[in-house]
Amino acid sequence: MKVVIIGASFAGVAAALEVRKLHKDADIILLEKQATLGYIPNGLHLYWDNKINALDDARFITKEQLDRHEIQYYLSATVEKINTTQKIITYDYLEKEELIAYDKLIIAAGSRQLSEKIDGSEHERVLKYKRYDEAQAALAKVQESRHITIIGGGQVGVEAADLLIRQQKQVTLIESMDYVLFKYLDEDMIQPIEQKMTDNGIDLKLRQTVSSIEAEADHKISVHLGEESVASDAVIMGVNVRPNLHFLDEQIDLHMDQTIAVDRYLRTSAEDVFAVGDCIQLSGPGEEMVYIPLINNAVRTGIVAAANLIKPAVPFNGSSRTIGTHVFGYYIASTGLTEGESLFTNRTVKTCRQEVRLTSLPQSDTMTLKWVYDASTHELLGAQLLSTSNILEKINTLALAIQTKQTLEDLKQADYFFHPLYTQMVSATNLVSWMAERADEDES
Amino acid sequence: MKVEHFLEKNEVREITIFKQLVLNNGILSYTKMLEHLSISKASLENDLESISSRMTVFDKQIQVLYDGQTIELKMSDEQSLQHIYRLYLNQSVKIEIINYLFKHKEFSITKLTQKLAISESSLFRKIKELNSHLKEFSLKIRNGQLQGEELQIRYFYFQFYYYIEDKTTLITSRSDNQITQAVHSLENFLQVTIVPENRQRLTIWLIISKSRVTNKDKKYKHLRKQMQPYVKDPLYHKVQVMVLRYYSRYSIEVDEEEAMLHFAFLLAFPILTEDDFHEYTLIRDRHAPIASLDTYIVETIIIHFKFRRPPYMLERDMYYHLTHIHTRLYFFHGDIEIYEYEEMIAREKQLVGKSLVPFARTLLTISTDKFMSIEVENNSLLKMELLKYISLLTLISFKMANVIQIGIDLKMDELYKETLSELLILKMRPINGIQVERYQPSKEYDLILTNDKPVEENHYEDARVYILSEILSSFDMASIQRVIQELHT
Ligand SMILES: Cc1cc2nc3c(=O)[nH]c(=O)nc-3n(C[C@H](O)[C@H](O)[C@H](O)COP(=O)(O)OP(=O)(O)OC[C@H]3O[C@@H](n4cnc5c(N)ncnc54)[C@H](O)[C@@H]3O)c2cc1C
Repeated sequence: MKVVIIGASFAGVAAALEVRKLHKDADIILLEKQATLGYIPNGLHLYWDNKINALDDARFITKEQLDRHEIQYYLSATVEKINTTQKIITYDYLEKEELIAYDKLIIAAGSRQLSEKIDGSEHERVLKYKRYDEAQAALAKVQESRHITIIGGGQVGVEAADLLIRQQKQVTLIESMDYVLFKYLDEDMIQPIEQKMTDNGIDLKLRQTVSSIEAEADHKISVHLGEESVASDAVIMGVNVRPNLHFLDEQIDLHMDQTIAVDRYLRTSAEDVFAVGDCIQLSGPGEEMVYIPLINNAVRTGIVAAANLIKPAVPFNGSSRTIGTHVFGYYIASTGLTEGESLFTNRTVKTCRQEVRLTSLPQSDTMTLKWVYDASTHELLGAQLLSTSNILEKINTLALAIQTKQTLEDLKQADYFFHPLYTQMVSATNLVSWMAERADEDES
Repeated sequence: MKVEHFLEKNEVREITIFKQLVLNNGILSYTKMLEHLSISKASLENDLESISSRMTVFDKQIQVLYDGQTIELKMSDEQSLQHIYRLYLNQSVKIEIINYLFKHKEFSITKLTQKLAISESSLFRKIKELNSHLKEFSLKIRNGQLQGEELQIRYFYFQFYYYIEDKTTLITSRSDNQITQAVHSLENFLQVTIVPENRQRLTIWLIISKSRVTNKDKKYKHLRKQMQPYVKDPLYHKVQVMVLRYYSRYSIEVDEEEAMLHFAFLLAFPILTEDDFHEYTLIRDRHAPIASLDTYIVETIIIHFKFRRPPYMLERDMYYHLTHIHTRLYFFHGDIEIYEYEEMIAREKQLVGKSLVPFARTLLTISTDKFMSIEVENNSLLKMELLKYISLLTLISFKMANVIQIGIDLKMDELYKETLSELLILKMRPINGIQVERYQPSKEYDLILTNDKPVEENHYEDARVYILSEILSSFDMASIQRVIQELHT
């Protein structure tokens, strides 16, 4: 069996490794457009944060690991066309057009940070750095810039704002919504972070949408929003990523948002063709099909597609959109449905926000926790955490609780350890209101 | 733009024949029909033949019989003029062109001629004709696309699918879970209730929006300009939050103006209930153009009705309807005339008296002046909004008219008295703004109808008394009408 995988990033590599595990004698071939292998998209952030010494250290897989698993790979190989009827792929390799036939094809071509709406976003001082070479270029440009404008207040944009302000850059951040990180946190959770952002001198422009970007004569670059514009030295595109799938043939159905339509087994409409990672929609926290471009989804879908190559065996069980990060001195994490997003579902939710102590020590730090649960069944649907201590691992417990449909009552009985140094009387992730420093029940 | 602009000349004539028959009890002489259509007898015969062959699909449910003298329409109770219109519209090539454009967003001449099975030259002719009517929408079909401002494109498609094309076909073929869910989400985000009759409108709008949202290079110049006073509007804000959240869940880059399109639509059409709309009026900026024009027009109407304040709920109703009218005038160009303008005006004049029509015209002039709209004369949007003003004024004048209490007090034998009183009540029923009953001594009346002069001067207290000369005579009926008119003013 010859398995060809387009894209050797998280989804593609995960699929390749899993195929190898399941099929000892399959030929596995990765075709990757980039010249280097396994770069971690937020490597530049790691570098700015002084966690790595060079961008090159941000790798999640090495050539040696692939060799060891007898996975073939072609770098600088760009797929240009696929023919799913004849099962042939055309790709550019070393400036030559090559053909390769497949028995099974996995499309893991991912996404890119690109705006088709914002005029001028392809300018060289409009920085994107998901890929290694982009990150290298961005690193150099940022070094020579004083004032940087970030478009988009999502995870990438807010992390970048924090890291740049720490380098004494002047930072303007533009977000169309009323508040930053709106996909993960409700508005009532964001106040401390936005406060810190403005205290640190970030020029936060909310409810503003960028219409175009224009290079000015004096090496400045202007970002136009409505009637206003911001001139700075460089711009960072922190907008939502989107797939780039010009090479598909007509047999493969797309959704309206240009993602590939797949079934629960990650099969596309073309026979023996699968799609994974950032090029598909998944069933999300509200159980509707949505687009959640995250590494954990890329890896999990890669593994599931591999399991279904021969026959449909393992359905993909969806995504709770679990994230965690550290910005402006706060650890924040979120999983499942937010209260804001619950308006898109047919469920009636209730929420509760509480502040709990993390340990039993007198000087214990606290964590703010927001619960989103079904009003009638009390099933946990979402959780948001915020603390100056590192509480990120706790979100995984809650993510698992959501995935396994636990109720608040179930969680009260969850068997968690006690140690005065690390916990208080009840675990922080039990909704026991009598241990909260503060709790706001909401009856919405 | 009119419905008939989607049809060919002979088809319009055939439809007119049906309409004339319906207006004339289903039967009309050749002479009358020829006079109305101003065509030759030979071409009338042609039309009738063509009608006959078309009607075969109705399997005798609808028939037009003619014998050289008279023309007669036979129609079963389940059929109506609407079904006949539908039949003609269903085979309209122009409608198919619009449908095709909506579905494919772009066409090539060769593909379309194949699809429609017509020649290139007749396709060009039809597009040219369509363009002459699309002009008032500031739209045109060019290079295989419908071109113009995005708001106008969606508005036109909306009017087209709501009034011209068979809307149930669109809804059944295009409405999916996503659309149903979007309607529900809109209720959640705006904290409103979409009642069933408004749901259909919203569904069509959302279907159109869904199919347009990913189009590239949309134009919003006019919309952006008109939205300037509304960037801080609370309803707009809610719509904006919903739109941003909605599309953040897909790999779609949504234009900032997407929320503006929905905002304009929500206020221009009955989507919100009057209650929900009222909540919005309490928080909207009263100085923004639409709200301030609403107030100005309400005040002008109150002055016209001699400073009598309308009842609270009627005033709310006025704002509700006026906002729809004014939002249309503010944001949109062009319209599809769903009612025969001239006929409606004539009918309204009969119904409400002559003075309301010129007053409605004054209101329209005030509004267009305030918005400095550059609509050309004879524009369907202006005509339709004028009809709406007239309807609103009619409604107000009905509701504001005092109900005149009339008591019938006949002096005669009990049997006659009962019968004649009932007959009189029956005869007076069609008169507006009155309440008639047999006289009860304990109640107060504005007018007493009797056949005998009362003995005492104030037997009926303050009520005016009319003495009938000959019960049920036309003389008495005319006099009673005059008295009622006098009492009304
Ligand atoms: C700056 C930044 C930071 C991020 N940080 C995080 C994070 O901390 N945590 C998290 O969960 N998510 C993060 N993400 C999101 C994350 O990057 C994506 O979800 C993840 O990379 C998706 O993996 P993938 O394998 O599906 O696609 P991608 O990583 O996009 O990889 C697709 C691969 O396919 C290749 N390819 C594309 N087209 C072709 C072609 N025609 N021929 C050959 N090869 C092709 C590309 O070169 C690429 O290597 C971040 C994103 C950005 C932009």
